[in-house]
Amino acid sequence: MRTLILMLVLSLSVPAQAFDFGNFDLEKAVKTVQKIKKANEDVSEPQEIELGGGIASNLLGAAPLLDNPEVQRYVNRIGRWIALQTERPDIPWTFGVLDDPDINAFAAPGGYVFITKGLLARMNNEAELAGVLAHEISHVLRKHHLMALKKGARSELFSDLANDAIKTHGGDPRLTKLVSAGTEIYARGLDKQDEFESDRMGVVLAARAGYDPYGLPAVLQTLQSINPGDSNLALMFKTHPSFDKRLALLSDEMTPALDAYERQPALDVRFAGVLGAKR
Amino acid sequence: MKRLIAACLAFGLVASAAAEEAVTLRSTEMKAKPYSDAQTLLTLPERSKVQVLQRRASWTQVKSGETSGWVKMLSLQLVRGTTQRRADNGLRSLFNVAQTGRGGGTVTTGVRGLSEEDLKNAKPNPQELEEAKLYAASKAEAKRFAMAGKLKAQQVDYLPGGER
Repeated sequence: MRTLILMLVLSLSVPAQAFDFGNFDLEKAVKTVQKIKKANEDVSEPQEIELGGGIASNLLGAAPLLDNPEVQRYVNRIGRWIALQTERPDIPWTFGVLDDPDINAFAAPGGYVFITKGLLARMNNEAELAGVLAHEISHVLRKHHLMALKKGARSELFSDLANDAIKTHGGDPRLTKLVSAGTEIYARGLDKQDEFESDRMGVVLAARAGYDPYGLPAVLQTLQSINPGDSNLALMFKTHPSFDKRLALLSDEMTPALDAYERQPALDVRFAGVLGAKR
Repeated sequence: MKRLIAACLAFGLVASAAAEEAVTLRSTEMKAKPYSDAQTLLTLPERSKVQVLQRRASWTQVKSGETSGWVKMLSLQLVRGTTQRRADNGLRSLFNVAQTGRGGGTVTTGVRGLSEEDLKNAKPNPQELEEAKLYAASKAEAKRFAMAGKLKAQQVDYLPGGER
C-alpha cells in the first residue's frame, strides 16, 4: 500500500515524458524518501542531553577542569542565572573552566558550557564573563551543534538516534561515533551565521540577567588587540569569524537598542575577589 | 612647587606614552561623562588616534590632544601591540597562563593548548564530567547569587538579525 502511494506521489511530481519505468529503481526511491523523512526528524531532549554529555566528557578528556572549586562554582552561578532568563531554563545546565591555556569556549548540546582558563585570564569583570557564557548558552538554545551534526558526514547516525534506532544506554558503538563527530565540530567550527546569531542573542541575555550588555564586545575587543600570531588564539581564529566582523555587526545591532542597559553593573570587584582568592 | 608639579606631570606624560592606543572607526562624539545624554566636548573624525585612559561599561575614557572625555567603546579599535596591560589582567600568572610576546611582535607563547588533533582524538573522561556536575548551581542558588550582586532581571527582546 505504501509503495503504491509512493509511486502515485512520484508519478505526480515527475513530468510524464521523463518517467521511465524501465530504469526506475523503486527500492532506491523508497530508501531516498525514507532518508529525507528521517533527516527532518529531531532528537528528543533526553537524547540531546545524553549526546551532549558524551561530547562534554570527550572535551574533558582533551582538557581537564581547572582545579579551583570556588571558580567553578562562581562560573556555574553566573551561567545558571543567565540560563534562567532563557526559553530553556530547566535543562541541567553545567558550566566549567578548562585547565587549558588556549583562548576558547565551547558549548555542547543539552546545556554543557566550558571556557578555557586562557580566556578567563583575559577578562576584567563579571559582565565580560557573563557575555561569553551567554554567547555559549545561545548555541545551546538554538541547537547549533545538533544542526551541524544533522548536516554533517554522520547525518545517518543522527537520524538513527532521532528514530530511536540507537539506544543511548548500553554503549551502542554508533552513539560513540556520533559523540566523536560532535566533538570534531569544535576543530572545524560552526556556521559563521550561527556565531553571529549567538553574539546577537548573548548580549541580550546578559542584559536580561541585569549585566552591562557590553561585556561580550569588550572581550572581543581585547582579543582583537592580541597579536594574531599568538598560538593560543590559533584554533579560535580558525573556527570563528573575525573579531572585526563580529564587533562591526554587534555595533550596528546593539546601538541604540541596548543603550538603556549600559548602566547595569559589571561587577568587577566581585570578579577580582573570586578569581584572586585562591592561588 | 609649581615646577615640581609640572615635572611630575611631564614625567606622567612620558610614562603614559606607553599606554594603550586606539583609533576611531567612525566620526565619534567625545562626551564629558560616560552617558549618551552627557555634554558633547568635541567630535573626533574617523581614524583619529587617541590614548586610552580607562574603560567603563560601553564607554572608554580617551585623551585626544589636550582634551579627555568618553567615547562609545564600539567606536574604537585598539591599536595592536599597545594593549599589553589590558590583555593581562594579572590572572594569567595566577592560572599559569604564559605571557604573550611583548609589543605585538611575532613572539608567541610556548605553551600549546587544545589542538585540532586533541579534539579529533579525544577520549571520554566520565569521572571529570561527574565532577563538573557537582559544581552545577540550582535555580535558588543562582537567584541568591544574582541578588547578592544586585543583578535585576530585565525584559529585553532578542535583536533582529543583522546581515545574513
